Amino acid sequence: MSTVKQEGDKLTAICKEVSRQHISLYAQASGDFNPIHIDREYAENSEFGDNIAHGMMVAASISELMGVNFGHNWGETGKMKIRFRHPVFPGDVVTTSGFVNKVTQIGEKTLVQCTVSVSRQTGEKVISGDTSVTLTKQ
Amino acid sequence: MNSSINDAEDPSINYSNLLVGNPISRRSYVVDRELVRLYKLAVQDKSRLLTTGSDISKVPLAPPMSISALSLRGVVNDLKIPGGTLHVGQETEYKKPVAIGETLHCEATVSSNNVRGEWRFMGVELKVTDSKGDIVMNGKSTILLPVKSE
Repeated sequence: MSTVKQEGDKLTAICKEVSRQHISLYAQASGDFNPIHIDREYAENSEFGDNIAHGMMVAASISELMGVNFGHNWGETGKMKIRFRHPVFPGDVVTTSGFVNKVTQIGEKTLVQCTVSVSRQTGEKVISGDTSVTLTKQ
Repeated sequence: MNSSINDAEDPSINYSNLLVGNPISRRSYVVDRELVRLYKLAVQDKSRLLTTGSDISKVPLAPPMSISALSLRGVVNDLKIPGGTLHVGQETEYKKPVAIGETLHCEATVSSNNVRGEWRFMGVELKVTDSKGDIVMNGKSTILLPVKSE
C-alpha cells in the first residue's frame, strides 16, 4: 500500500484491455445478461454497433485503485460517486487514474478525498467521479 | 451516455406503478470462493485479497466492488431490465469488510421514477447487510430505461 495522503498526490494508475471474454465472464459473475453486453448480433444492430462492457465492470478498477492505495480502509469506510459517461467496447484499453484533492484531519482520523476517472485509449473519459476514504491512525 | 435503442420496457412489469419506497428486490447470497474467483477474473483484478483475523486464522475478504455487483444482481433480474437500459450513475458507501463465506442480504427499493422524453429515469437505493444484520454497503444506482414508443 502506498502512503498517498497529500493533496495533489497521484494514485498509482491501472491499465487494462477489455475483451469479449472478460465481458462474458462479468455477465456470469454479476448475473447481468443484458444483450447489449453479450449478444453480438443484437449489439451490432444497436446504435453502439458492438457489444459494450458493463459499466460496473469498468468501474471495478476504481475500487481496485482505491484498494491498492488505501488497503483495508477502502472496504471499511470507502465512498464513491461516479458517472458513466461513455461506453467501453471490446478491444478498448482503459486507464484508471486519480489524485488526492483534499485531506481533512478529523480528530484522530484523516479524510482523504480523491478525484478519479477511467479513460479509453483515445483519451475519452468513460467514467468520472469522486471517492473518499477515512484513514485511522495505526 | 446517450442512446436511442428501440427496446421497450418489459410489458409484464408496469414501471409507472413503481413508487418511491417500493421494494424491487430482496435476495440473499453466499459470497463463496468461486464467485470471488470469477469476479476477479472478469475485472482483471490481480491484486492480493485483503484478509481479516489474526495471523493463524486469516480469512480472505471479498473485493468491495464485488459486493456492489452482487447488490445489483437482484435489480437486474427482478426488475426485468430490458435491453437498451443504461446505467448512468452509481453511488456506493462501504461500511464493513465482507469475508469470503459470508451470507449477504441485498435489498433494493425505488428512490425516484420519472419519465423524460423517451427515457424513464429510475433511482434505486441499495442496502446490503451481513448475517449479523450489520450494514456492509449502501448505494444508489441511476438507470435509464427506454420507454416504449406510442
